[in-house]
Amino acid sequence: MNFSKVHMMHKERDPLNLRSLPLVEPLEDGWPEIKNSLLQENRRQRILRLAGGSLAAAAVITLSVSLFVQQPSPSPQQQSPLQSATQSIPATATLDSLIALSQQLESGIRSYRAEVGGMPTDSLIYQVEIEDLIAQVDDELSVRPDSTQLWSQRVNLLLDLSQLYENQLRRDYHRMASL
Amino acid sequence: MAHSPFDIELDDMTLARAKRGNVDACETIFRKFQQPAFSVAFRICQCRETAQEVSQEAFITAFRKLRQFRGDSPFWGWLRRVVVNHAISQLRKSPKADPVELQDYHGKAEATSDRVGMAMDLESALAALQPEDRAIVWLHDVEGYNHREIAGLFGKTESFSKTRLSRARDRLKDLLEAGPALKYAQDATAR
Repeated sequence: MNFSKVHMMHKERDPLNLRSLPLVEPLEDGWPEIKNSLLQENRRQRILRLAGGSLAAAAVITLSVSLFVQQPSPSPQQQSPLQSATQSIPATATLDSLIALSQQLESGIRSYRAEVGGMPTDSLIYQVEIEDLIAQVDDELSVRPDSTQLWSQRVNLLLDLSQLYENQLRRDYHRMASL
Repeated sequence: MAHSPFDIELDDMTLARAKRGNVDACETIFRKFQQPAFSVAFRICQCRETAQEVSQEAFITAFRKLRQFRGDSPFWGWLRRVVVNHAISQLRKSPKADPVELQDYHGKAEATSDRVGMAMDLESALAALQPEDRAIVWLHDVEGYNHREIAGLFGKTESFSKTRLSRARDRLKDLLEAGPALKYAQDATAR
């Protein structure tokens, strides 16, 4: 493309030559504030990961126990050795129940959202962080939809979110009661 | 097509480190893009303090969401979108920003006095536009956004963007023709 054509295209796109205006200098160096925010964020993420790990383990244990209790035991005549072996594998059952629990928690959170008014800023930051993490897990789940570990993480994060709403509801309730 | 002021190269290693939360890598990104980010925020909000807040918030958001950047488009385009989104949402909250003062303008040292004079006319004329018109003409003419993208940003139709762009350009032309008188009026207001 020759120079005059390029010049004409620029003229058409920017007829008033606004591009000739120089970049504007910021008022001050914004980095220290951004750095503080990033460091705080990193600390929160570490705490979340730690808390998440222990909550996930608790959730998986609870689910495994409840599945074991709920599972109807087949009669000895119907039970083949193969069936017996497969029923002792908890992986598939755990995945299904994790998905089911995830749906239940989602539905509970929807109800909470309708009940809870405004969240205070500190809770709001936490809420946004958890939702971001859920979005990340969802991204990974779109690639590995059968990962029990990912579904456990999702359930665990939903439990955190649920807890956050419950705390807020409790605070709202106490505030109303004190009026 | 001319490049956006945001169109700056960023090496993959820095990006990958920043995605893992490395603060030094984030600082490298900030230093590279600080000025174009502030500039576009200022052109949209037309207030230095607001532009400072908007660009800082945008960087914080960008660093928090960096993992969501998939790399299927240039990084600068993604970052610019974050900054512009923040600036537009600020514009919605306070559409009537204070007009810019002429002394805010800092021309480059090597610029000739004529170029500085022309730039000051353009600065004054831009500052006199309605906030949405100014944002639209800047995003279209300088940043290279198309009407569909602008319509998306404002939640309006493409014809809204076309009409506003045409109106903004006409107004700018009028203001530039009345340049000296406009400057005199602004100086008088400042006094």
